[in-house]
Amino acid sequence: MLLDYDRLGWLRVALVGFTAAVAAFLLLPVVFIVLLSFGSSRWLAFPPPGWTLKWYQQLLADPTWIDAALTSARIAAMAAILAVVIGLFASFSLVRGEFRGRQVLRGLLLTPMVLPVVVFAIAIYAFFLRIGLAGTTVGFVIAHTILALPFAIIPITAALEGFDKSIEDAAIICGASPLQARLRITLPSIRIGIFSAAIFSFLASWDEVVVAIFMASPTLQTLPVKIWGSLRADLSPVVAAASSLLVGLTLCLMIVTALLRRKLSR
Amino acid sequence: MTRPFLSIRAVRKTFGAFVAVHDVTIDVPKGEFLTFLGPSGSGKSTTLYAIAGFQDPSSGDVLLEDRSLLSVPSHKRNIGMVFQRYTLFPHLSVAENVAFPLRVRRRPDGEVKRKVADMLALVRLENFADRHPGALSGGQQQRVALARALAYDPPILLMDEPLSALDKKLRQEIQAEIRRIHRETGVTILYVTHDQEEALHLSDRIALFREGRIEQIGTGEDLYLRPASEFVAGFIGNSNFLSAEHLQTADGASTIRLADGSIVTGVKTTTSFGQGQKVRMMVRPEAFRLTPGPTSAALAVEIVDTAFFGDRRRVVARTAGGDEIDVRPTSDAKEADSTAPSGQRIFFDPASAFLFPA
Repeated sequence: MLLDYDRLGWLRVALVGFTAAVAAFLLLPVVFIVLLSFGSSRWLAFPPPGWTLKWYQQLLADPTWIDAALTSARIAAMAAILAVVIGLFASFSLVRGEFRGRQVLRGLLLTPMVLPVVVFAIAIYAFFLRIGLAGTTVGFVIAHTILALPFAIIPITAALEGFDKSIEDAAIICGASPLQARLRITLPSIRIGIFSAAIFSFLASWDEVVVAIFMASPTLQTLPVKIWGSLRADLSPVVAAASSLLVGLTLCLMIVTALLRRKLSR
Repeated sequence: MTRPFLSIRAVRKTFGAFVAVHDVTIDVPKGEFLTFLGPSGSGKSTTLYAIAGFQDPSSGDVLLEDRSLLSVPSHKRNIGMVFQRYTLFPHLSVAENVAFPLRVRRRPDGEVKRKVADMLALVRLENFADRHPGALSGGQQQRVALARALAYDPPILLMDEPLSALDKKLRQEIQAEIRRIHRETGVTILYVTHDQEEALHLSDRIALFREGRIEQIGTGEDLYLRPASEFVAGFIGNSNFLSAEHLQTADGASTIRLADGSIVTGVKTTTSFGQGQKVRMMVRPEAFRLTPGPTSAALAVEIVDTAFFGDRRRVVARTAGGDEIDVRPTSDAKEADSTAPSGQRIFFDPASAFLFPA
């Protein structure tokens, strides 16, 4: 290979240095937030004059934070389930279907990912206001499902494209009805894709803030909205603690995903 | 004649204006190993897929014991099939793969267990029951696929180029397995391949497909020794074609003039040719003998190349007429030194040659 790592010589040092710089650039803000959440300064001074857990105690003692976290989890879970189910049907028709405009449909289903979120947020907010869904859980879930759909469709179509349809034909000739063959053979075979779809669409909703700000009401707030609101009201280290927990949970999900993928693909 | 077990009647399949299969009719007796042989795109797989139910024929019928299969969906046809590609269910173990057709038929657990054990013994993979397909070689995967296809005792087993992804040595090994399994189970097998050696090795009968039609159907010997057309002669085995001119025919034996002017008499023919008609004479490489002296039905040739293959030699010779021919002198015959480049003559028995229209 042209760029064989073993043959780079002194360039290897430069490469490692560059990679470290990029990693630091990506990670430093997160590290700062986490450090500040343990700092004793009320004013988020850095370096922290001392260390404390009191911001976490405050966070966990405040029912509005707990509420926001539970709301986030509930909406993300529902959005993820809906996105995976819709994504499954959509992927089957995108991969297996032989109709005109298949590529156009695929593009259309992926637009929520490339469309400026704020444009989408304003549009759906205006629409939901008119039909009375603004500020409701249903509205929240629908909006987040649409945003999460591309994250479900991409891994599922990829898995389905990598799955040889002859395997399904083999199940059918073995005596399974087409539906049985899909449920018992095709779905388990693409389970890694389905699992990734579930995780990514959960995360797409879990850390989404723009649409959530529009959809939120005083009684219905997701965690990112609550963080945003607290930041504007008073810049307390509790926000840093909440952010740290948000990052922590995301990290956990990614690690679990990686482990499960490794286990499933064996 | 007893009524046929499987009857393919005037099956035709068109894709738009393209006719993939032209009114193919074959009767298959129970227990036969019938191979559909032909180049790619000759309609052999399409015919097989019509029997499996993955392709609906445009017209015609497929009857199993006098009942039409066409209205029966694939999963209720109770047919076994082994595919060209590896089609084991990746998330199930070998034993679960073989058990799958029995499970969807809701057979009792005890029977499933017994049958799976029998089938794995049949393909000699008893020790692999708990492996997953990813941990098997290609040959092992196809043997499991075979066990799975036979687990529910289907009356017919369809095999669509099951060995084409394997290397030559493994192919021969599994061919022997397939022969043994056919013998032991007595299942009727329809086998698709483009490999004529595989077809000759395995089949009771071979249907040779060409452009959606059956060019000839018969035993391997029929096709090799009595080819119905130049296409059959060229496709089955090795053959040499020499351009010639037909002079006359009497009692099924023709006299022809080869391109170099030599006259050959007594060439077997079943077609009638006009005088002076251009013909092609086919002679199998092993029907040639190299000989130093002048003989009847002998051609003056120059030796172009010789190669040694252990059990035989292969000699490429060029006639005075410019045709290159392939000669396989058997090693037992005391023949002329085939390394001498020129002055050689090759001799053949005219009765082993065939004439086809040019």
